[in-house]
Amino acid sequence: MSSDVLVSVRGLEVHFPVRGEGIRKKGAGVLRAVDGVDLDILRGETLGLVGESGCGKSTLGNAVLRLIPSTGGSVHFAGTDVTSVGGKGLRELRRRAGMVFQDPFASLDPRRTVAQTVSEPLEVHGLRSGRRERAARVGELLELVGLDPAVAGRYPHEFSGGQRQRVGIARALAGEPDFLVCDEAIASLDVSVQAQVLNLLRRLQKQLGLTLLFISHDLSAVRHISDRIAVMYLGRIVEIGPASAVGSDPQMPYTQALLSAVPLPHPALERERKRIVLRGDVPSPSAVPSGCRFRTRCPYVFEPCDDVDPALQPAGAAGQQAACHLHGVVGTPVERTPEGVTAEP
Amino acid sequence: MTGAPVPEPGGSPDTPAGAPGTSPVASLKPARPRWRETLGLLARNPTAAVASVVLLLIVVVAVFDDTFAPEGANEISVTDRLQSPSWAHPFGTDDLGRDILSRVILGASVSLKVGFLAVGFALVAGTMIGLLAGYYGKWVDDVLMRFMDMLFAFPAVLLAIAVLAVRGPGSGNTALAIGIVYTPIFARVTRASVLGVREEVYVRASRSVGASDWRILTRHILPNAAPPIIVQTSISLAFAVLAEAALSFLGLGTQPPNPSWGLMLAEGRGYIELAWWLAFFPGMAIFLTVLCFNLLGDGLRDALDPRQRTLMAGGGK
Repeated sequence: MSSDVLVSVRGLEVHFPVRGEGIRKKGAGVLRAVDGVDLDILRGETLGLVGESGCGKSTLGNAVLRLIPSTGGSVHFAGTDVTSVGGKGLRELRRRAGMVFQDPFASLDPRRTVAQTVSEPLEVHGLRSGRRERAARVGELLELVGLDPAVAGRYPHEFSGGQRQRVGIARALAGEPDFLVCDEAIASLDVSVQAQVLNLLRRLQKQLGLTLLFISHDLSAVRHISDRIAVMYLGRIVEIGPASAVGSDPQMPYTQALLSAVPLPHPALERERKRIVLRGDVPSPSAVPSGCRFRTRCPYVFEPCDDVDPALQPAGAAGQQAACHLHGVVGTPVERTPEGVTAEP
Repeated sequence: MTGAPVPEPGGSPDTPAGAPGTSPVASLKPARPRWRETLGLLARNPTAAVASVVLLLIVVVAVFDDTFAPEGANEISVTDRLQSPSWAHPFGTDDLGRDILSRVILGASVSLKVGFLAVGFALVAGTMIGLLAGYYGKWVDDVLMRFMDMLFAFPAVLLAIAVLAVRGPGSGNTALAIGIVYTPIFARVTRASVLGVREEVYVRASRSVGASDWRILTRHILPNAAPPIIVQTSISLAFAVLAEAALSFLGLGTQPPNPSWGLMLAEGRGYIELAWWLAFFPGMAIFLTVLCFNLLGDGLRDALDPRQRTLMAGGGK
């Protein structure tokens, strides 16, 4: 089992200090963007990570690659501890693990040509010596992502969103990585272009044997591309399992609500579709509820939910896990303050 | 399945329009350099274009001053003292019979040299300090910028006088003094610009592929933070020429008998009622140079503005 794990995340925390207003700025609290995440990403798989905006999924993706410093827990990439590695080890990590960013209009330096952008990893890691070799490799990479190598001398503003995203993918692939984090990589593209880029990623994943962490708020896109799906809520993974199981028979009430919001492409089925509408808003990550963090909006809330923070436990299909007391009360009891909320004010 | 993307056709599945069969060797050189685009935009602004041409003329005259000056700077002719402008002496002569036109031309090189040296010093020092302060933040920022604030809090002329008092008068020291005075301005402009660029996604993207801080600073942050620095350079050149004139006027800058516009202004002051041309022509030279640097700065500000760029370059004629 462990030999198949490429990325292993244990108890990862990313907390940001929250500044108070006025003169007294310190000690105003913490924002728990990622709050104790355990996650294994298997070699060669595509793991979809879904959740509402603000649930911490992008922060998790960035922290896994150490583009944002984590405040607790550990991340191991192919055996090396990402959170403490430095120098050569860190550079090797940067080569072996790439990132595709959400907004292709912001992720490309407007003053550098496509060729300069794509060849940056080659120069940084000394992968090709000499201009001609690098230029040839840039051409290969552009072809790999479906772009004409002749466009290498152009600037990003001369491209459409989909083409820019291809350039971003080519840059991420230049270091010949094993692992790619796609952070909402299709969210800011037109729907028709989304499909193209999604197919491109799927083809590249198969062709190059990549391991993908595909972060998205679009459950249907995630279901399409992923082998497994992890659902995130308020900084924690609340359900994880094979894409087919999580996508059709979710065991956690939150996932059920998410899934019920996806329109069905069949008129009769769509008419039958029952939406589970959640009450209220997502609580602030700077005041996480005690016990189960979903209890303030859960339609099935019962006694243990207030007092016990549920752990992931087997539920539903093989390999499927949900953090919900409906599948048996398992978890850490919560120490309660008189107000009933453990989070700092 | 919901939202299923369009099926991939066989062969090359997601290749957009183009010529995928062409040679895979890509040129690393840009098709059209940015600076040429900027020059093109600048040329469409008549005021800035005229200012650039005049400045170019002034610089050419200053560089080849020996060729252009009809007489030497200190060729005294007792019989031709205080001559009003004429064909022989278009700008007249001063109290020692020296040709003012020649002295204005020869003074141009002194004034511009001091200006360029001073701004060059401030540009290099200030940009480096601003880059480090803006990029690293935290204590680096605090230490560097508080130091800059201290320099800034000093009255500029007083600081320059202090530097010249320690190191003695002369063109080189004048340039150093003015350079030190202007360093905080460049540091602030650079830092403000860097703070904006630092948070850009492409900087994080560059870090994600393993680029070093040095690489990120020189290849990504500096080029993108440059426009306000370029504008500041042009405007500072104007002020540096003025400052040189002011310091020379006070007797701290260029020393007689060397010609410098500020010094000539000071020397002509005593004769202003008797022979206006002594002060008028060097004054005009200062005025024209400063005006042109300012107009060029304004033009550059517009040409380097990304919104202007898309408006004009995109929707061009």
